[in-house]
Amino acid sequence: MIAAEKVSVRRAFTSPSSWIRVVGASVLLIALPFVLRLDGRPHADWLQLFGRFHPVLLHIPIGLIVLLPILEIASAKSPALREAADLVLRAALATALPTLTLGYMLAYGAGDTGPAVSRHMAGAIALCIGLMLCMLTRSAWIAHRQPHVYPVFLAITILILVWTSHQGGSITHGSDYLTHYMPPSVRAALGVNIKDTATPDSFYTHHVYPILDAKCVSCHNASSAKAGLRLDTYDHLMRGGHDGAVISAGKPETSMLLARVTLPTDDKHFMPAEGRTPLTTGEISLLRAWIRAGASPTATTIPGVYIATTPSELPPQPVGDYSALVPEILKMQTGQGAKLVPVSSKPSDGLILRTVDIAPAFGDTQLAAFRKFAPYIVEAELGRTAITDAACETLGAFTHLRALHLEDTQITGTSFPKLVALKELTYLNLNSTKTTPQSVAALKNISQLRHLYLFNTPAQPEQTSTRNAP
Amino acid sequence: MKQHLLCTDCESELDVTHLPIPSDLKREWTAVETRRQFLGRSGKVLGWAALASLLGDARLLGQGSTAKNPALSTRNNLGLPNFAPKAKRAIYLFMSGGPPQIDLLDYKPNLASQYNKDIPDSVRGNQQLTGMTAGQSRFPIAPPHWKFNQYGQTGTWVSDLLPYTARMVDDLTIVKSTNTDAINHEPAIMFMNTGNMNPGKPCLGAWLAYGLGSMNDNLPTFVVLQTKTNPKENNQPVSSRLWSSGFLSSEYAGVGLRSGGDPVLYLADPAGVDREVRRKMLDAVEEINRQTLADVGDPETNARIAQYEMAFRMQASVPELTDLSKEPQATWDLYGPDAKVPGTFSYNCLLARRMAERGVRFTQVYKRGWDVHADVVGMLPVLCQETDRASYALVTDLKRRGLLDDTLVVWAGEFGRTVYSQGGLSAENYGRDHHPRCFTTWMVGGGVRPGITYGETDDYSYNIVRDPVHVRNFNATILACLGMDHNKLTYNFQGLDQRLTGPAPAFVVKDLLA
Repeated sequence: MIAAEKVSVRRAFTSPSSWIRVVGASVLLIALPFVLRLDGRPHADWLQLFGRFHPVLLHIPIGLIVLLPILEIASAKSPALREAADLVLRAALATALPTLTLGYMLAYGAGDTGPAVSRHMAGAIALCIGLMLCMLTRSAWIAHRQPHVYPVFLAITILILVWTSHQGGSITHGSDYLTHYMPPSVRAALGVNIKDTATPDSFYTHHVYPILDAKCVSCHNASSAKAGLRLDTYDHLMRGGHDGAVISAGKPETSMLLARVTLPTDDKHFMPAEGRTPLTTGEISLLRAWIRAGASPTATTIPGVYIATTPSELPPQPVGDYSALVPEILKMQTGQGAKLVPVSSKPSDGLILRTVDIAPAFGDTQLAAFRKFAPYIVEAELGRTAITDAACETLGAFTHLRALHLEDTQITGTSFPKLVALKELTYLNLNSTKTTPQSVAALKNISQLRHLYLFNTPAQPEQTSTRNAP
Repeated sequence: MKQHLLCTDCESELDVTHLPIPSDLKREWTAVETRRQFLGRSGKVLGWAALASLLGDARLLGQGSTAKNPALSTRNNLGLPNFAPKAKRAIYLFMSGGPPQIDLLDYKPNLASQYNKDIPDSVRGNQQLTGMTAGQSRFPIAPPHWKFNQYGQTGTWVSDLLPYTARMVDDLTIVKSTNTDAINHEPAIMFMNTGNMNPGKPCLGAWLAYGLGSMNDNLPTFVVLQTKTNPKENNQPVSSRLWSSGFLSSEYAGVGLRSGGDPVLYLADPAGVDREVRRKMLDAVEEINRQTLADVGDPETNARIAQYEMAFRMQASVPELTDLSKEPQATWDLYGPDAKVPGTFSYNCLLARRMAERGVRFTQVYKRGWDVHADVVGMLPVLCQETDRASYALVTDLKRRGLLDDTLVVWAGEFGRTVYSQGGLSAENYGRDHHPRCFTTWMVGGGVRPGITYGETDDYSYNIVRDPVHVRNFNATILACLGMDHNKLTYNFQGLDQRLTGPAPAFVVKDLLA
């Protein structure tokens, strides 16, 4: 159908009836989406076979159209280029129309819909009409009869080209492709923000959306809403697609979204389609629980669902190069004293100070001898040793410590303020020491401390709750 | 080619060193001194000198995990963790016999309505049967006798048999889809422990001892605790094959503590022998052993020297380890009265915690009796009463003492049990046969993700429908928690870089890791 138009349009620019032909072709182009509506349903596969060449072909008209103003401007100096510009313009139109045809076949065949698809299509139609108008008005511009009409049309055509290409890019790469790595301030200035009913601290935002985003949104988004379904915002999720709602709040068994992801993987209705990574058991049970609890956009917790929140911990910081100290470390390992043991085969993981062999004989003076290794020690196992509160003074120099074991020692905690220097300390074991509630207060200033154990100390009296059988 | 020693006119014997085989196989051949070789060579006194030098190399054959930091591997340590480990040590609660997952943790609400109906053939498929049920004409479904309830914030379903386990479900990593290749006890338990159904391979604990080394020179790296058997239960044998070091040096084998009386026999020196005399005696024995080592070059002599030394140190360390008099009252409140009786599962769990504190790398506690072919209704409450509170107590004790951060606890048997009844099914009782296709295990602590249930079985707890975890992958995951890459923890033996997970491909189940 479009091929027929193409032939008629090509010759339109010189013929006296060219205006009529252009108007006719434009009407046909504009009518196209109304005749063959993009209804979100896939059609014959052969359409896609050809349609998928659209992303290849489209670079040719883009290149030609961009070349056009360059030639026109340069032709002021060398008039020979004016001839070339004429050819380029014709070639641009001659390739733009098949590109549009293939693009339409692609969308119609695959059942693509969505605002970005519609905008891309409208832009492409406007672009073709713009090119035809350029062709019509160019001869008058060359003859200096209408010096402004052609340049204006050309400028508008190029603007349409930029906008249409961006819409096309959004379909392929996602609408946030360009803005994803923009600083938030720039994004805010551009107004790129998604407004949604879901609140930022809700269960939906924290746990449901990330699953949909990872497994579903690449096909169900603003740019390409397969089956008319978008899953990129809460509102769209609840609105559903062409086949109706996909979530029935409170009723997981009738929610189509759950049904489609739990079908046998070889079922043709199974989602995610086309061999994409299926949802895991955990993800499915999470979705099910959220739907059962009412699919709320604001609820922060769901009864029966417990998600262990791992407190944000500082990742292990690499220690420096201790190769100069290796002979001394080795000597220590073969001797009778405390040992320095590497955490792993990676030297930057640091060393563990291990005293368990000789714990009763390891006191404050022995600890002080390890001061020179302090920057490389990430864990100090001092449980059951003879160290006292004075050791905290030395330990303050162990700035890379992540874990410190002081259980079953004489520590009372009077020198805990010295430990504040341990900026990376996440674990501190004070079980069965004389640590008092007052000295524990000083530990609040160790910013990374996440695991503090005070079992069997004055600071935490023995728990008696386990005395009774359930 | 060389002439046979005892036969002057027979054909010359083929010499292994001239065969077109890899050189490491030849070295191994020379390292393994069989009686025949010994007698064969004994005539050639001169040959010993050359042999000793060969064997000297052979001792270095086994490489540890590829240590990139070789300068700093410790003296008991052939390698180092491949990466920073989450867990430094592990405690493995082994439920020998095969606990019935359907009655404990794998909740199947639909079974109640299927009482005495036959399990569909489509479900049973081509599953091999044991000799015990192969003759049965029917496979009637036996729904669990006990009720299930949801517990914790995770809402995990747990049987009424496990009231204590129910309290800690939010901490556990429950795997409902563990599966094995063997259907009978001995191969299955070997497979679970050593990654191979045939005896002779090192077990998980030996691999860890070999790969990670000791943390405390005064205690064994790998300790085995057996629970005293309850004569009412159907006890399948466990043997030292399960904690053997296989082809690894005997130093890495599990050291079993006795389950009754003295944990280690002859721990105290006899009257008239003080520590000084004992030390001198051992030094003299060591000197003789070193001479033997220099003469013969058998690497096992090294192991013997190390074991004498370990025994000497254990004379001091074991009494302290097993002295429970300083345990606070909170311990007894938690573990219950059983923990005071040596040999009970509860006592062993308490001992396991004390060993974790004292730097024992791997403790394996065996509890036998889960082989409930008959009288499930009578036996399970006994078994659960023996193990449920103790398992909970161990995990809770480790947790409150800050040990669960770097200790991995594993609870597993060698296989599961069938949904259908073995023998007669009545409203009051039933039996369950072995089932290798799926069984439930759990892990908790360093390295694993708390509060998840992984894998799913079908409505009959017969087949896995999602996320299977094969024994090989289960073991690879345990190694990963301890910082070991199962593909790098190898030992060259019989021409193969042997590993716990075997030559078949295995992978770490990343979803189980924290």
